[in-house]
Amino acid sequence: MRGNRPVDSDPHSYNICLLATVCCLSFCWPSLAVPQERSAPVTPAAGSSEAFVDVTSRLGINFQYRSSHTSRKYLLETMGAGVALFDYDNDGRLDIFLVNGAPLGDPTPKWTIPQKTGPEYWNRLYHQEPDGTFEDVTARAGLQGVGYGMGVAVGDYDNDGFEDLYVTAYGGNRLYHNNGNGTFTDVTLTAGVAGSGWSTAAAWIDLDGDGFLDLVVLRYLDWDFDDLWCGEHKEGYRAYCHPDHFKPIAPLVYHNNKNGTFTEIGEKAGLSKPAKGLGLAIADYDRDGHIDFFVANDSMMEFLYHNKGDGTFEDVALVSEAAVDIDGRTYAGMGVDFADYNNDGWPDLVVTDLANQRYALYLNNGDGSFNYVSPNAGLAQMTLAHSGWGIRFLDYDNDGWKDLLIAQGHDLDTIELNFPHLHYREPMLLARNTGHGFADVSAQSGSVFAQAWVARGLAIGDLDDDGRIDAVVTTNDGPVHVLHNQMQTQNHWLLLKLIGHRSNRDAIGAEVELVTAAGSQFATVSTASSYLSASDKRVHFGLGKEGVASRIEIRWPSGIRQTVKDVAADQILQIDEPAGASSSRKP
Amino acid sequence: MTLQLAKPRFLLCGAIVYLVSVAMCNAQTDTDFDKATTEFRAGNYGAAAALFARAESSSPGKTAALLYKAKSLVHLQNFTEAEAALRRYILSHPDSDDALYLLGFVLHRENHPAESLEIYTKAAAIKTPTGDDLKIVGLNYVLLGDYPDATKWLETAVRVDPQNKDAWYFLGRAYYTRSVLPEARRAFAKVLEFDPHNSKAENSLGLILESEARPEEAMEAYRKSIAWQEQDSRPSEQPYLNLGNLLIQENRMEEAIPLLEEAVQLAPGDGTCHLKLGAAYLRTDRMKEAQRELEEATRLAPENAAAHFQLGRLYKQIHSLDRAKEEFNRVEEIQSRAANTRPQTQ
Repeated sequence: MRGNRPVDSDPHSYNICLLATVCCLSFCWPSLAVPQERSAPVTPAAGSSEAFVDVTSRLGINFQYRSSHTSRKYLLETMGAGVALFDYDNDGRLDIFLVNGAPLGDPTPKWTIPQKTGPEYWNRLYHQEPDGTFEDVTARAGLQGVGYGMGVAVGDYDNDGFEDLYVTAYGGNRLYHNNGNGTFTDVTLTAGVAGSGWSTAAAWIDLDGDGFLDLVVLRYLDWDFDDLWCGEHKEGYRAYCHPDHFKPIAPLVYHNNKNGTFTEIGEKAGLSKPAKGLGLAIADYDRDGHIDFFVANDSMMEFLYHNKGDGTFEDVALVSEAAVDIDGRTYAGMGVDFADYNNDGWPDLVVTDLANQRYALYLNNGDGSFNYVSPNAGLAQMTLAHSGWGIRFLDYDNDGWKDLLIAQGHDLDTIELNFPHLHYREPMLLARNTGHGFADVSAQSGSVFAQAWVARGLAIGDLDDDGRIDAVVTTNDGPVHVLHNQMQTQNHWLLLKLIGHRSNRDAIGAEVELVTAAGSQFATVSTASSYLSASDKRVHFGLGKEGVASRIEIRWPSGIRQTVKDVAADQILQIDEPAGASSSRKP
Repeated sequence: MTLQLAKPRFLLCGAIVYLVSVAMCNAQTDTDFDKATTEFRAGNYGAAAALFARAESSSPGKTAALLYKAKSLVHLQNFTEAEAALRRYILSHPDSDDALYLLGFVLHRENHPAESLEIYTKAAAIKTPTGDDLKIVGLNYVLLGDYPDATKWLETAVRVDPQNKDAWYFLGRAYYTRSVLPEARRAFAKVLEFDPHNSKAENSLGLILESEARPEEAMEAYRKSIAWQEQDSRPSEQPYLNLGNLLIQENRMEEAIPLLEEAVQLAPGDGTCHLKLGAAYLRTDRMKEAQRELEEATRLAPENAAAHFQLGRLYKQIHSLDRAKEEFNRVEEIQSRAANTRPQTQ
C-alpha cells in the first residue's frame, strides 16, 4: 500500500478536520459535537522535509522531569517517567499529562517513600487550548501528585464519559477520578488501588469482559534504598545496579467492582508470577475473542498472558516463542507495542532493550506462536548499538504501513567510560516500514533525530487532528519534547473514535479491521503500550492513495460485531457500539 | 568464555637444570638421585618422578628429591601427588621459597584458589614474587570471581615483568570481563606488540569490538585470529565460535555453519559450540542435524537455558510436543532460578 510521497499542497496550515459522527441507523447514542476549526500555532518551515519537529517551546510547555540524581546511584534515578495524551475535558483536543519525580536524599534511608516537596516536582496537566497551545492546569485539576512518579494509565473506569488517571510511583500509586468539570479527585483509598513497592507500567483492560475496565499494574523489582555499590570502585565509575541484583515481584491486578472499588485478584487470575515488568501492551494475539497482554520484563523472560476466557490467564510466552530472543537469551525488555505491522490481521510484538541486545520484533504466525524476525526485518542491525525505551508502531506517513518511533538512551550515565561507542544520550529512532521490513529513516526525518536525549517515555496521538500522528517524549532529568508530525504527504487517513456502550466506554480491547482497495489493516483500541505512558485511544489508519475505506469491521469487547461501509478518508469518525449482536451500515 | 589457566611456564627448563646441577655439585652420590636427574634433564618426567621417590625413600629428608619429584609430577599434570610431595618437603624445609611458590601454583591448578593465595603470601614473605607468580595470584582471584583484585594483581604482574605477554593477556581478559573495554583493548594490544600474530589476543579484540556494536570489525578480527592459528598444533575453537555466532546474528547462516562445524570439531566437549551449530541448522531447516547437535548441547550443558529453548523449538517444529513442553519447562525452571538469584555486588 505504500505509494509515492507527493508534496502536500499546503503544508503550512493544519487541515481542517471533518469530524463525522456516525450514529447507528436503528438507534442513536449521544454523539460528539463537531469540534471547532482551529488556527495553527505550529507551522513548518517552507519546503521543510522534516517529518517531526520539536515544537515544545512554541506550545507553552516547559515541563522538566526531575529524577534527583544522587551519588548513590539509586536505580530509580535512571528510569524516567511517562506521559499521557488524552482528552480529559472532552473538548475534542488532546491534553498532556506528565509524571514527575521527587527529591531524594543522598543517602536516602532505607524504607523511605520519597514525597514531592514543591511545584518543581509536581506532575503536570497541560490543557490544549483552541489555538493549539497548552496551558498548565495542574493545580486547578488537582493533579500535582505526591510521590516519586513513574507511569500513567488512562481509562474511563466508571464509564461516565470522562477519562480517569492512574499514576504509578515508587511506594504507592494514585487513582484520580475525573469529575467532569476539569478537576480530579484522588480516590485511591476508597478504590483500594494504592498498591505498594515499585510500580511501573499500568494498563486499563477489561479482563473479564464485564464492560468495566480492570487495572493491571506492573512492578519492577523487590527494591529499596540500599547503599549497593555497583560498577568499579573508582571516582566517577559508580554505576546503577543491574536488575539481576534484585528479586522480581508480582504485579498488581485489580478487578473493577463497578461501584468505584476494586479487588486485587492477581493470584486468582493467574497473574501473580513475579516479574521485572516495565512495559505492557494489549492485543488479542490469537483472535479468540479474549484480550491478552504482554509484559516486557527487564533481564528475565518476557511474559505473554493468554486470556483463557474464564477470568484467568496463563503465561505462554515460552511456548509461543516470545519469551526470549532467537538465541534463547533474555534481554532487558523495557518498552513494548503490540500491533499488526505487516497487515496480515495478526498483532505482532516489538520490545525495546539495551545496546548489544537488538530490539526484539516478533511476527505473529497466526497459530498462537511468534517468530523472532529482528534480523530479517532489518531491526536487529539498526538497533544493535542503541538502547530503547518508549516505542510505538505508528503510520507516520499515512502510507498504510505501521512504522516505528523509538525513544532512546542508555540506562547507565557512565556507559561511555567503558563502552565509548555506546551513549547515555541518544537521538530518537524512526524506522520506516517498507512493507518488506524496516529502514532507518531518522537521518532524513528532521533535526530532532540528530539531538541526543536521555529519552524514556513516549506517547503518540494526533495533537492537532490533522491526520498525522504526533508524539510526546519524556527525558530523564530533562525536558519533555512535543514532536509535531509535519510529514509532507497527500496520503489519506482515518481516525476512529470508538465509544463503547455494552463494552467499556473507551472501547479498550476492540479490534478494528479497515479495508481499502489496496488491502486491509488491523488495530486494537488501547491506551497502553510503550514505556510508562498512555497514548491517544483513537485508532489511526493511513490509507495511502485510497480515498475511501470500503469496509470497517469492529469487534467490540462485548463480542458485538459491527461493519461500517464506504467511509470517506481524511476525517475523524466517531463510532458508537450498537446494542444488537451485529450491525452493518454506511456512515 | 572462561579464562584458561596458565601453564607452569616458570618452571623454566634452564633454571631446573641449573638447580639440579647445583645439587649434583653438592656431591650427591646417591645413584637414584643421579639417575633421576638424568631422566629429568631428558624430559622423562615419569621415570624421573619414580627415581626421585626412590631416592627420597633411601635417604629421607637428605636431598631435594621430594621437591624434584613434585616438579616432575607438575610436568605430568599430576597435581594431587605433586601437592603431597611438596607438603612433605615443606615440613622439613619450611623456608623453601621454591617449594612454596610451586605449591601455590599446584593449588591453583587444583582449583583451590584461596589456599593457593595463602601459600603465595607465605612465599612472598621469603622471596619477592616474579611476574609469573603474580600472574597466578591474579588468576586465583579470577577463580574466586573477584575481578577487581584479579586486575590489581595482574597489573602488578605486568609492572614487575612488562614483557610477560601471558600476564598482559590475562589482564586484558579480566578487564574485558569487568567491561572495562578501553583497558582491555590496551592490554591485548600489548600482547600483539610482543607477539604480532597472537590469535587469542586478536580473538579477544574481536569480542571487544562486538561489545562495542561494531560487528564488521569484530568479524575481521575473528577472521585474522583464525588465520593466525592455522599453523597451531592445537587451534582454539573460540574464533570459529565467535565468528559463527556473529554471522548468525547477521542472519548469514550459510557462512556461519561451516565455521560452527569447525568449532565443534575442535571442541567436541563444548556445549556452546553444539548449541550454536544446532541453532544454525534449525534456522536452515536441517532438522536431523539440528536435533543431533541440540541434544548433545543439552547433554553437555544441562544448565544452559538457551540450549533447552532451541531444543524445545525443534521438538515443536517436528511435532514432538511432549518433549517440547519438557524442554520449555526446563528453560522456565533455569530462568526462574536465575531471576531469583542475586549476584554479589562489587
